Amino acid sequence: MGASRPRNVTRRDVTRRDFIKRAGWAGAGMTALVAGAGRGRSAASVSYPDWIPASAKPPKRGGVLTRGAPWDPPVIDPRLTQSIGTFQFVGLTSSRLIRYAFPEEATGTNDLSLKGDLAESWQSSSDLRTWTFKLRQGVKWHNIPPLNGRELVAADVKYCFEQYAKEGLQSFTFREIEGMETPDKYTLRVHLVTPNVLFPQNVAESVTVIFSREILEEDGDLKKRLVGTGPYILKEHTRKVRVVLVRNPDYYDKSRPYVDEIVILSTPDAATRLAAFRTGQSDILPLNSLSEVEVARKTNPNAIVQEYKNVLAPFGVALAQDKPPFNDIRVRRAISMAIDRQKQVDTIYEGHGIPGWGVPYMYYQDKAPTLKELGPWWQYRPAEAKKLMTEAGHGNGFETTLFYYEYWPQMTSQVQLVQQDLKKNLNINIKIQKLDYTTYYGRYVENKWDGMSWGFQSGHAVGLDERTYMYMHSKSTKNFFRVNDPVIDELTLKLRQTPDRNDQRTITKKIVDRELDQVLRMWMPYDGGFFLYQPHLRNMSALALRRTDGYGSPTTARLWLDK
Amino acid sequence: MHRYVIRRLLLAFPVLALSSLIVFGLMRVMPGDALIALMGESGNVGEKELAKLRKELGLDKPYHEQYLIWLWQMVSLSPGDSIFTNEPIPVSLRKAIPVTLELAALALIIGLVIAVPIGVLSATHQDKPADYVGRVVAVSGLSIPDFWLGTLVITFAAIWVHWIPPIGYVSFWESPSRNLQQFLLPAAVLGFRLSAATMRMTRSTVLETLREDYVRTAWAKGLAGRLVVYKHALKNALIPVVTIIGGQLGVLLAGTVVVEQIFALPGMGRLTVEAILYRDYPVVQTNVMLVAATLVTLNLLVDLTYAWLDPRIRYR
Repeated sequence: MGASRPRNVTRRDVTRRDFIKRAGWAGAGMTALVAGAGRGRSAASVSYPDWIPASAKPPKRGGVLTRGAPWDPPVIDPRLTQSIGTFQFVGLTSSRLIRYAFPEEATGTNDLSLKGDLAESWQSSSDLRTWTFKLRQGVKWHNIPPLNGRELVAADVKYCFEQYAKEGLQSFTFREIEGMETPDKYTLRVHLVTPNVLFPQNVAESVTVIFSREILEEDGDLKKRLVGTGPYILKEHTRKVRVVLVRNPDYYDKSRPYVDEIVILSTPDAATRLAAFRTGQSDILPLNSLSEVEVARKTNPNAIVQEYKNVLAPFGVALAQDKPPFNDIRVRRAISMAIDRQKQVDTIYEGHGIPGWGVPYMYYQDKAPTLKELGPWWQYRPAEAKKLMTEAGHGNGFETTLFYYEYWPQMTSQVQLVQQDLKKNLNINIKIQKLDYTTYYGRYVENKWDGMSWGFQSGHAVGLDERTYMYMHSKSTKNFFRVNDPVIDELTLKLRQTPDRNDQRTITKKIVDRELDQVLRMWMPYDGGFFLYQPHLRNMSALALRRTDGYGSPTTARLWLDK
Repeated sequence: MHRYVIRRLLLAFPVLALSSLIVFGLMRVMPGDALIALMGESGNVGEKELAKLRKELGLDKPYHEQYLIWLWQMVSLSPGDSIFTNEPIPVSLRKAIPVTLELAALALIIGLVIAVPIGVLSATHQDKPADYVGRVVAVSGLSIPDFWLGTLVITFAAIWVHWIPPIGYVSFWESPSRNLQQFLLPAAVLGFRLSAATMRMTRSTVLETLREDYVRTAWAKGLAGRLVVYKHALKNALIPVVTIIGGQLGVLLAGTVVVEQIFALPGMGRLTVEAILYRDYPVVQTNVMLVAATLVTLNLLVDLTYAWLDPRIRYR
């Protein structure tokens, strides 16, 4: 750099005005360039398969699967958390008694058939209160201290279930157990307090993993070490950095798993996760919208894309229906009819969303319900809504609040559309409160709120019992929507005592019809989004209620890398 | 000098005490607690169990009692464990502090490497294209937020050069090259932001100094331009620059919060943000106190640097 004496002269080579003018032209040019670049093919005209069949090629062993994840495990003790951050890998290190079909075994995305994991077979007594599980022989714990590869026996499972019932988050599920016995090393007999034909589904949930007695007894908790019987061994868990899982050579299924190592990189920022996929640092990328998929495919045109079609909506407007004005069915129905769900699907979800319902539809019918099939109270009929509100004595509307936590940006748009619809059609003034995660959960779960909330049902549950009895029975601690309906109570209990699959479907349909008719949970449109996989991934497919990330991560146990 | 330092250190106590009260109070005013965050989603925990757990963690005690217990923990340098993860806080800090220190140090170096030469260039080429470019860079640095710049950098690096820093932090001692690859872009983002104010200040103080009589004398003596600018003008122009760098250190630490999030670095910023979101009181409180103490110390160091830069300055 050549230093020169400063000048005090007023002549300028570039005047301010010149500079601003040139900068203005440059800015306009850039804007035109960006706008032009944005005009690609229409996002709405593209569609992707919702099911990727298993590869016909013989699987290859080896390789490393890497995935960026926004979640971090708070603790690894499955009794103390149901965090998605923990269960995004615990399902790979630890087994359950029973599991749902893996992608390469399933007949399609909606296949919810149960398969044995630690249990080879299971059957109930005629009164549906006693369940006998025959365990697989020769299953070994990971060959690391203090288990050192010893065999898993029925007493291990019994101990684990007893601990779940004793304390922690799963106690509600396991307190259903009246007693257990182990007639031999490989048989576990479970006696339930009340009959429940759906009990096997409850122990097949991704959170009901079998942990080791030795670690709990030695450490007093399961916060430091995680030893299971699953296909992978936890090699490293560095908070906010990575989780590394290595292949378990002693896994009971001798030919599996195929991939040597699974690495989950803690990547809280969405743009970084996308960049990691673009540069090959990550093999799996979940995206929320079709337009995001199209953007990603510009740099990665060979990526495999799967559209994840949801079979239920996890979010909806929860009303304080134990208090006025929401305890009046006319008000609930009016609010539901004043919300334009199709507009939300078309605008926010780019035409790809579902209108919203709470129980997975395959439990009661073969095809996803259309908006019309949800019944009269779910159609957008503002004039009828207004009439109902007037009948209920709220013709001039009222003021209320709605609190929510923004899981993703689209949710805020949905909340605002609901606010707009209810103001325009029913003169209901909603004061929106956007809260952080902890405040939201604190308020929502403690059930001490008034007005409205953007409510949820837990993400991990697959089973019918969880989605009906657990979330809707008036006595359940998971009944966040404050459903208190004697018909629902009766039907959900009856469902638990109905072994025939067709009868189960009939009862489930009655539960759903009742829920929709009484507007007990006001579901909102939702979109499952999309998964992008690097082209070398095989046997990778998200299934209904089992994505390839988060709680659904056990689905990755059977994939292999074709490279 | 010693008396000055001691007096400044004594003055730090009320500052730290006030910080402790503010952070303790703010955390308690926020609704929800760590147990709710940890267990809330499942909905399986009853009121009784939550109350029992709160009692075990001392969260049921009156606030003044909780404050005194925490204060004692801080004084005795044993801040306890995280409520959320159960990890001892010193362990978390041992992992997070080196990351943030490395990021901040590199950002500071990059910031100065950008700011000082461009500031001088701007001053010595006043109102020429080089000056305009320098000023545009400075104004951009001031106006572009870290989160936006960080996102742009990582996105366009992936699109244009098909490369982003390797995700998954490794320490410098484990793999120096991988570690530097991980820190280069985030430090550049932070450094760019930091350089803006420093650059503007350098420009204006160098301009001012270049008009001083002693500089004119230097020119008159026929000294080389480089010598006049760097030896005579720049050193004297640096005092306000050092002051502004001292003030920017707080901004730098705040910037690490966002940058660590974008570039997936497990530093103090991410530790604190996560702790705030999950109401992990002991972690937030300890981190805030640590940052407060660091800033107090850094400001003192900045003040002491003046004497080195200008021997006429005396501390009383």
